[in-house]
Amino acid sequence: MFGYAWLILLAPLAGFIFLSWFGERIPRDRVGWIACGTVGAAFLATLTLLLEMSVLEPDQRLNHVITLYTWITSGKFTLNLALLVDPLSVFMFLVVTGVGFVIHVYSIGYMSHDPEYSRFFAYMNLFIFSMCTLVGAADFFFLIVGWALVGLASYLLIGFWRDRTSAVLAARKAFVMNVIGDVGMVIAAFVIFEHFGSLNYVDVFQAAPKLFMANDDVILLITLFLLVGAVAKSAQIPLHTWLPDAMEGPTPVSALIHAATMVTAGVYLVARCHVLYALAPFSMYLIATIGAVTAVFAGSMAMVQYDIKRIIAYSTMSQLGYMFLAVGIGMFSLGMFHLMTHAFFKALLFLGAGSVIHGLNDEQDIRKMGGLGRIMPITHATFLIGALALAGFPLTSGYYSKEAIIMSSWHAEMGNFVFWGIAVFTAGMTAFYIFRLFFYTFMGKSRNAEAHPHESPIVMTGPLMVLALLSLCGGVLGPWVSRFLAPVFGFEIPHFEDGLLETIALLAGIGGIVTAILLYFTGQDRLEFAKQALAPIYDILFHKYYVDELYDFFIVQPVKGIGAFLEERVEKFGIDFAVDQVGVQLREVSFYISLWQSGKVRIYATNMVAGMVVILLFVVFL
Amino acid sequence: MGPHFILLISALIFSIGALGFVIRRNPLIMFMSVELMLNSVNFLLIGYSNELRSIDGQIFALVIMTVAAAEVVVGLAIILTIFRTRHDLDVDHLDVLKG
Repeated sequence: MFGYAWLILLAPLAGFIFLSWFGERIPRDRVGWIACGTVGAAFLATLTLLLEMSVLEPDQRLNHVITLYTWITSGKFTLNLALLVDPLSVFMFLVVTGVGFVIHVYSIGYMSHDPEYSRFFAYMNLFIFSMCTLVGAADFFFLIVGWALVGLASYLLIGFWRDRTSAVLAARKAFVMNVIGDVGMVIAAFVIFEHFGSLNYVDVFQAAPKLFMANDDVILLITLFLLVGAVAKSAQIPLHTWLPDAMEGPTPVSALIHAATMVTAGVYLVARCHVLYALAPFSMYLIATIGAVTAVFAGSMAMVQYDIKRIIAYSTMSQLGYMFLAVGIGMFSLGMFHLMTHAFFKALLFLGAGSVIHGLNDEQDIRKMGGLGRIMPITHATFLIGALALAGFPLTSGYYSKEAIIMSSWHAEMGNFVFWGIAVFTAGMTAFYIFRLFFYTFMGKSRNAEAHPHESPIVMTGPLMVLALLSLCGGVLGPWVSRFLAPVFGFEIPHFEDGLLETIALLAGIGGIVTAILLYFTGQDRLEFAKQALAPIYDILFHKYYVDELYDFFIVQPVKGIGAFLEERVEKFGIDFAVDQVGVQLREVSFYISLWQSGKVRIYATNMVAGMVVILLFVVFL
Repeated sequence: MGPHFILLISALIFSIGALGFVIRRNPLIMFMSVELMLNSVNFLLIGYSNELRSIDGQIFALVIMTVAAAEVVVGLAIILTIFRTRHDLDVDHLDVLKG
């Protein structure tokens, strides 16, 4: 009954194919509108899906598998090209195509000066298609296909400006880090097939509670390998280093892929496999721990960076940590809710940053900005809304989702006060770093005399305003999200009431904002004093805990050393020598053989006759 | 005219043909030698056809003659072309394909 759900995948795919083939030959302005149109069509299809699903009874909304055709049949293994339509996938489709559409529109303005306009939009459509494949897959096979395809799209878009060495290196780093996760996913799929005999979600999730007890080794193995994929894709510690570097891509890419959609795939994966994770409390605890640690690590790193996009990138990691914490303590739909509000306000912040970068001719260092509030009023106002939502200011969307996560991290069955303390501390840091960024960028006097900033065109500010509205009011969707996703997860999120904890969390956020005001808005002396007083910590944070250096020392350099040894010794004196000798010896031998071929007909004839005689003698006398 | 006689004659003609093919350098003579070898086989087939009272051998001989005729056409054409381009018919000089 949801057959048209395929439109969600096929429209962006058609856009990708069309733009790849004809993108260079059609007028520039049409390229952008075609790309937006395909994503818009996917969004409309999703809305129809949502409406049709809303009229169904809650218990009939699950497990609608729409099979296009059977792709592979081999023994007991059957692979269908199929989509799974249930509240969770519809919810994700909504976020992906909705935010994706807004960012596509924004890109028309942002990329307007780029010579490779059509290539950009082709990749963007490819990304939407890949993400919808990931989200809509009805089995682990196509989940991995989508998983790898979004990695590809991410690689292509990070390295979009292919003449910049740093962009190409960042793209490679992101790809390698993601492949580590892909390997984990593939191993998990093998284990699942070995023990369940099927890769379909429906089969696996229905069989899992019957076949396995809680804490079974097999379930633990599956969930941990899936977690490797989730951690790599969602840039959680220890596979997080690629995300800040991924900011080399164009800003709409950072907003779409590295904030709103792709990096949340890990959260989606855990939520999708909640049946398996429910059987593996250890994995759940690990997820919550990874989330909490990432939240505080990334948040602290964001406090001292100077690149506007990197600050927001660390913030993304930190917020993804919140989502991991939420799903790790079993509050799945809370994680999805924060995924949605985060998609709104983080896309808004990235697009606002993009507007600033665009207005300042590609300047990304916040020390060279300042005083933009008056010149770019719309960007200023919308960015402020995004910052407030990120900081969890009351009544914004971020307030509802983050507050709920912080509350649950104490009150939920699997929560404890350590998670709560980290969550609150991170909330304070979040408020601090985003307002530090805000004051640097929009307040005070301009620190860059040469730049002539200007407000962005309507095609860029329009999406900002839409996202600002969603960031402001998205919080009211909270109860709806919980109710809508309840059939998937089997329960609604309980609402925890605790005035004291709520006040503490609120004060942490306000305290962060006030600290930012004290340091960056009113007092330059206080800033210098704080910097000197905290110099050692500042240094560690500024160098991102030296994780890149550690990886370089313990992994990259040894691998390079082994590679150099193999190249110098094994390759030159082993493989190359052997290959060369095969050639040399063959030539030597064939020289003597070729002497037989004299070219003289009579010698050939003599040989033939002689051979005939020999055979004759052989036949007659033996 | 016993079977031994037929075999002997046939083998003799075949050997003459083979020897002629090997020792002569003129392609036309070599061709004639080839025909000689083919005809030795024809002789054998017809002789034995008579000996064994079976028609099969004669039909084979007819087929061989047809093939030989076709082959001669092609072969003579090649020899003619070689002569036109090189003005030389010594097969020992035709060794451009040597390794």
